[in-house]
Amino acid sequence: MVNLEDLKKEAKRILEEGKIKYIIGYERSPNGMMSMPAFIKNPEDAERLTWDPSCVYNLTRFLVDEKRRKAKEKKPDTRPVAIVVKGCDSRAVVVLLQEKFINREDVYILGVSCEGAGVVDEKKLTEKLKGKKADKIEFSEKDHFLITSDGEKIKIPAQEILAERCLECRANFPVIYDEVLGEKVERRPEDPFKSIERIESLSKEERWAFWKEQLDKCIRCYACRSVCPMCYCDECVVDTISFAVAADTTAEEKAQKIKWIERSPDSSENFVYHLVRAIHLAGRCIDCGECERACPLDIPVRLLNKKLEKEAKELFDYEVGFDPEKPSLASSFKDDDPEDFIR
Amino acid sequence: MEPNPYIPKLAKIIQIKEEVRGARPVKTFRTQFLSENGFSFRCGQCAMLSIFGRGESMISISSSPLVEDYLQFSILKMGRVTSSLHDLQEGDIIGVRGPYGNGFPIEKWKGKNLIFIGGGIGIAPMWSVLHTALGKKEDYGKISLIYGARTSNDIVFKEELEELRKKIEVHLSIDVEEPEWKEFVGFVPINVLEKKPSPENAIAVTCGPPIMIKYVIQNLEALGFKDEQIFTTVENKMKCGIGKCGRCNIGLHYVCQDGPVYSWAELKNLPQEY
Amino acid sequence: MQKILRKKSFPQWVKKLESYKIYAPAKNGDVWNYEAVNHSEDIDLDYLNSVLSPKKIIFPQREIFLEFSTSNDGNPEINEVLPEENPSVIFGVRPCDAKALTLTDSVFGGDFDDLYYWRRRDQAILVGLACHNPPSPNCFCLSVNGSPHSKEGLDILMTDLGDRYYVESLTEKGNKLLNLGNKFFEEPKAKDKKDLEKINLASEKKIKRRIKEIKKIPPQLKEMFDSPFWDEEAMSCIRCGICTYLCPTCHCFDISDEVLSSSPIEGKRVRTWDTCQFPDFTMHSSGHNPRPDKASRLRQRILHKFQYFVERYKNYQCTGCGRCISKCPVGIDIIEVLDKVRDYGT
Ligand SMILES: Cc1cc2nc3c(=O)[nH]c(=O)nc-3n(C[C@H](O)[C@H](O)[C@H](O)COP(=O)(O)OP(=O)(O)OC[C@H]3O[C@@H](n4cnc5c(N)ncnc54)[C@H](O)[C@@H]3O)c2cc1C
Ligand code: SF4
Ligand code: SF4
Ligand code: SF4
Ligand code: FES
Repeated sequence: MVNLEDLKKEAKRILEEGKIKYIIGYERSPNGMMSMPAFIKNPEDAERLTWDPSCVYNLTRFLVDEKRRKAKEKKPDTRPVAIVVKGCDSRAVVVLLQEKFINREDVYILGVSCEGAGVVDEKKLTEKLKGKKADKIEFSEKDHFLITSDGEKIKIPAQEILAERCLECRANFPVIYDEVLGEKVERRPEDPFKSIERIESLSKEERWAFWKEQLDKCIRCYACRSVCPMCYCDECVVDTISFAVAADTTAEEKAQKIKWIERSPDSSENFVYHLVRAIHLAGRCIDCGECERACPLDIPVRLLNKKLEKEAKELFDYEVGFDPEKPSLASSFKDDDPEDFIR
Repeated sequence: MEPNPYIPKLAKIIQIKEEVRGARPVKTFRTQFLSENGFSFRCGQCAMLSIFGRGESMISISSSPLVEDYLQFSILKMGRVTSSLHDLQEGDIIGVRGPYGNGFPIEKWKGKNLIFIGGGIGIAPMWSVLHTALGKKEDYGKISLIYGARTSNDIVFKEELEELRKKIEVHLSIDVEEPEWKEFVGFVPINVLEKKPSPENAIAVTCGPPIMIKYVIQNLEALGFKDEQIFTTVENKMKCGIGKCGRCNIGLHYVCQDGPVYSWAELKNLPQEY
Repeated sequence: MQKILRKKSFPQWVKKLESYKIYAPAKNGDVWNYEAVNHSEDIDLDYLNSVLSPKKIIFPQREIFLEFSTSNDGNPEINEVLPEENPSVIFGVRPCDAKALTLTDSVFGGDFDDLYYWRRRDQAILVGLACHNPPSPNCFCLSVNGSPHSKEGLDILMTDLGDRYYVESLTEKGNKLLNLGNKFFEEPKAKDKKDLEKINLASEKKIKRRIKEIKKIPPQLKEMFDSPFWDEEAMSCIRCGICTYLCPTCHCFDISDEVLSSSPIEGKRVRTWDTCQFPDFTMHSSGHNPRPDKASRLRQRILHKFQYFVERYKNYQCTGCGRCISKCPVGIDIIEVLDKVRDYGT
């Protein structure tokens, strides 16, 4: 079991040494049920850090912010930032390294074990508690969570309230780290692609109807893109302007920027948005499920990524985010790659 | 029924003049409304110009309200809409809606000396008020202009400026040396310090890139100008022009309605988000 | 006008309103939203907070302003497109969401009337439902001049008294609606009034969240414009549009041309929601951006709601619905932010 005190101690130590700029970790929310991202700069604030099954966020998203901020600094602080990662999150770090978006020496990775369980789905938990608030969410013995609500302690089997992605997780222990807390507990999902089974079994027409109903709800807040650590492009096809404008960008370049998509949230534009998003994540998505969790309209956007993950596995035997030394899917070619997808 | 503020009126381009060629081209357009009921405006106000299928851009009206036959706009080619405007021919039809904004309080400046300080395309909003003042020259004291551009090629209204020299003091500048250039070389704010306009009974109006405005104001203050004597325009991004879309919002103001013209005394009290 | 309506008579009353387009909360998966309903039986007034407020009916996310095309002589032709005349009734409006519409009213009115907004607004009758239980754990209407039984902005307020509704008409429009179902309504008795009072009192007590000493906040915000506080608070913001798109009071929008054919040119000019949280919102064509980072954009949201709007329209631009808190993907909580603001530096 991860000893929280060890995490705090380690955090305090690296901050005191002064070799780390700050730590991206989790802290308890004063009002909400789930933990929140925390940015710890001072050793005495290391006390605030937490690690429990309410730490759902994939914090690697903030490595993207860090890189942007640093690029703007006149005299950049070149020390690495430390980041707390779960197994799935660590795979995101691997992808960012593979794509050379970040350098290994720019991050200090503090891995934590999911204790053979995973993190909680807030909606499932709320339903379980019939609307009551959980004041504390803890790992208990294997496969159970210990919930404190209204002074009462309840043990709930993990399977019942686990986040969907945890049910299909293939890395519940960090795959890359500088320091790791907790032990590796093997837990292989029966079928890592179970969630898409139902949709795959539908006819083409039924699938169309399903996605139309779902995507028609989209309000294009772009939370699913904004929360994703892989959606780091300066120039995204859905933005009205390119953020890569420089002093020497000509009027023609700006005028000729293709408008791939309108802002109107109607079926055609929403489909374009979601298909572009999914395709741009093929072979890159590590299934942290953040996009789906962020969506205020409960659109199962994760399923699109999941389908592509399965294609990558079946067509190219490629699994995302396990080896930083290996080339990424899109930049590798093997003689025996199938070509069916081109036809 | 009430007029729909989002529907532009159609107007014909009756004249296009190429002011500046090269990398940062500027063209001046004169337009006439197709129907009788166009609009009247105050100097410093703007209009939303439409190219249907490309979008809208907010542009200052650079002609004086004293001119009734046409509206004039001087436009720097910047992006999507302004490039399409630059592609137009005389006789083409565009959409125009407005006028928007507060305009310069020129009635309150009677009897005062007026100093206009501009950079680049920033001369466009000042051109209207400058010519309105010139049209009633007897109402004002001494009028002068300090204007600069990156290169001599980037100077807008070249011929008109030569004409203007016969009537008022005109000081031009460019940012870097050129062989033929006889006047000041350096940034506009420096030229202001050089020419030392007197704050005595004066109003200074300055328009141009945000960074230029910042230093011009600093230097005017150094010369003894009070906050109430300095006027400028704020050009935040705009879409609706009528205080609804929220885009141009700074503090409690919508620049499209409550601006774009501000005295430094007013602007100082707003958040620095321009 | 005050009446009593038996719950079983509710669908019958709604049936009498067939000349109106009816909207009511509807559930899709786990998500509630206001949708058009065809059958009075489909209305379920036992609902939680909708993801989007009824703002989306009055100020839809997409509105066509005009259509443009090319005439035979090659010149552009334009056609104004106004919303249809379509009298409507929105059932189950929460008091906070009704109040929010009075706030957007002040923006869409003023020197220039927004005809699109008013065409829908003037034709909509708002039938509110007092919040028996707070529909969200993050409700805080009591802190921003509201209450779970506030009548502000409503035409009719209904209160659930168990087997019956206490129905109070507040405007001419409301009276007209009640008259259409005249025979279903009864006169309230002393007991009904007493029950109503009891329920109102109880519902206020159930609201757990508060912004303390809110009056101190606007002046304090003014002092804190340049504070490093905003950098700290915005660290976890991911710059999505949830907090503002879901907010019933946010009104920002974009205008763009959607082209159907480029030669000859044909298409529509549309307005779509936009938000100060997107970095391109204020970015100039030159690349210069007056609000260049997350800190300045979070500050804009908070200051617009609790300082600028107060200065301009004498009201907070927030009705305490709690949506921005519940749905923020990283847990940024406007109450906590304001609590910290109030206590900053003390
Ligand atoms: C008060 C005021 C007065 C002004 N006066 C003058 C003046 O007198 N002369 C002058 O030259 N300039 C003036 N300007 C500046 C002028 O308004 C801008 O330079 C002009 O609007 C730039 O527009 P653009 O379409 O060419 O640029 P772009 O950068 O191409 O576009 C501007 C906006 O159009 C939309 N857009 C562009 N491309 C796309 C796309 N692919 N998809 C969706 N949307 C898109 C976006 O919202 C974008 O931000 C003034 C500005 C203001 C506010
Ligand atoms: S988060 Fe949901 S509503 Fe927002 S853009 Fe993504 S799918 Fe659409
Ligand atoms: S700011 Fe938040 S709580 Fe206030 S009205 Fe908007 S969404 Fe509701
Ligand atoms: S908070 Fe932002 S999006 Fe909402 S009304 Fe204010 S400026 Fe507009
Ligand atoms: S341009 Fe829309 S509010 Fe000013």
